[in-house]
Amino acid sequence: MAKKLDINFNELVSCSTAASGSSLVHRLDPRAKWLVTLAFAVTATSFGKYEIARLMPLFFYPFAMIALSGVAVADVLRRTALAAPFILLAGLFNPFFDRHVLISLWGFPLTGGWVSFLSITLRSVLVVSSVVLLSLTTRSDRLFSGLGELGVPSIFVVQLQFLNRYILLLAGEVQRIVRAHSLRSGSRRNSVSLFLSGSMLGILLLKSMDRAARVHWAMLARGFDGEVRTACPLKFSWQRDGAFVLIWVAFFGAVRFIDIPFLLFGWAVGK
Amino acid sequence: MSHHFLEVNDLYYSYPDGTEALKGVSLRLEHGEAVGLVGANGAGKSTLLLAVAGLVFSGSGTVNIGGAILSKKTLGEIRRRLGFIFQDPEDQLFMPTVFDDVAFGPLNQGLSAGEVSFRVEEALRSVGAGHLSDRPAYRLSGGEKRAVSIAAVLSMLPDILLMDEPSSGLDPRNRRMLIGLLGDFTHTRLIATHDLDLVLDVCPRTIVLHRGEIAADGHTEEIFRDEGLLERCSLEPPLCMQGVRS
Ligand SMILES: Nc1ncnc2c1ncn2[C@@H]1O[C@H](COP(=O)(O)OP(=O)(O)OP(=O)(O)O)[C@@H](O)[C@H]1O
Ligand SMILES: [Mg+2]
Repeated sequence: MAKKLDINFNELVSCSTAASGSSLVHRLDPRAKWLVTLAFAVTATSFGKYEIARLMPLFFYPFAMIALSGVAVADVLRRTALAAPFILLAGLFNPFFDRHVLISLWGFPLTGGWVSFLSITLRSVLVVSSVVLLSLTTRSDRLFSGLGELGVPSIFVVQLQFLNRYILLLAGEVQRIVRAHSLRSGSRRNSVSLFLSGSMLGILLLKSMDRAARVHWAMLARGFDGEVRTACPLKFSWQRDGAFVLIWVAFFGAVRFIDIPFLLFGWAVGK
Repeated sequence: MSHHFLEVNDLYYSYPDGTEALKGVSLRLEHGEAVGLVGANGAGKSTLLLAVAGLVFSGSGTVNIGGAILSKKTLGEIRRRLGFIFQDPEDQLFMPTVFDDVAFGPLNQGLSAGEVSFRVEEALRSVGAGHLSDRPAYRLSGGEKRAVSIAAVLSMLPDILLMDEPSSGLDPRNRRMLIGLLGDFTHTRLIATHDLDLVLDVCPRTIVLHRGEIAADGHTEEIFRDEGLLERCSLEPPLCMQGVRS
């Protein structure tokens, strides 16, 4: 368990490092990336609930972004996998409620529930991976100031910023507690009993609250007044950032309103 | 402007859980003075520094920073003059890169971008960390983090420095460098530490805190030679003086 948590923590940290790369995607104005990510999410969620084939062209977006930014595919997959429980949960009950048979595949009745489960899962994977890509290619301060510049009230932006910082702190505390425990628990090294993990959670909460207070003090001591300022103001270049937004929005629009898979492969199905 | 004194008058503080951490502390630091604040674990050193910076508000007593009495109204003004270096540099570093972290204070002071980057470079250079500017702060070694956390405070050009355990977690060489650095500063300095050798090198004057009260206040060497006093306050004489004695 200690090992697993170590890895997860390193993942969080290495992701924050990946964000300071210098590819074209990294250099884009964060506002442009927020807009495109939002448009992507809206497009992916706007399809009908049994739609599967028409979602496929959307996978072009994460792959293109990976290729353009040079982010490691493994990083994207691992981070997306962290959200797997929530992704699966989203459509989990559909197979139980929606039992009418859509088609028979080799004699097996395929119910609407299973199709919509698959569809929801695909869409969640798409949206989560696009957000992962956004966070992997944008430094956190630029990410948040971009949000602020887009008109999101600064109180929400500051909250998000703190959340981001606290998640890292929390991960650090978890790591320390688990290490301390596994070093002292002798041969029963890997079994954290339920009782223990309960009390460890309590300690974790108290420790991270203390630390949160100290971080807040440190910020106040340096004149923090509720607004985080950045040294390099954002510059939206129409040629670079505007083109980025336009091209992707046009692509998403095409995917949404034109049945591309049918155009490409429709003749093969013989319709 | 030549009077960056720090005066604390009969200060009391109890934590919300009832722990009485400060019980009537009074002291005065003159302009440019370096004073060591020593005492066993739990003596109240950190709490005293927090109270001076107005990060915890005491029940009674006053804090006077260069003529301004600490209150909610003067807080902003007073914090501009104080530089607070925390016990654990992790608590202090929260921006994505070293540069941003050191720029945090000056940006909050509303300085222009050019002025900010000048101050950041200057501050990083003075602690020998100029080459770390673009690195992510959470990826540094303990000593580098300490150096950056000091730069992050220096960049605000404070008049008075409050430091909590500045030498903890440093290797001997970095500790030496820190001692040199602290000795060169001209700020008024209050340094809480267990490192009595550092105090001996940097601070001509020492204040001993014991269970929330001031047990002694005077010449560093005299205090460290008073074995009865050190014994009473659960302190050990500094290593170099132990050598002399035996
Ligand atoms: N957040 C807190 N809540 C309750 N009590 C606290 C808290 N922080 C410290 N104390 C108590 O206040 C007293 C003074 O603590 P303080 O941290 O000021 O000591 P210190 O001299 O800095 O010790 P150290 O050398 O270990 O850093 C101690 O008895 C401690 O247990
Ligand atoms: Mg302390």
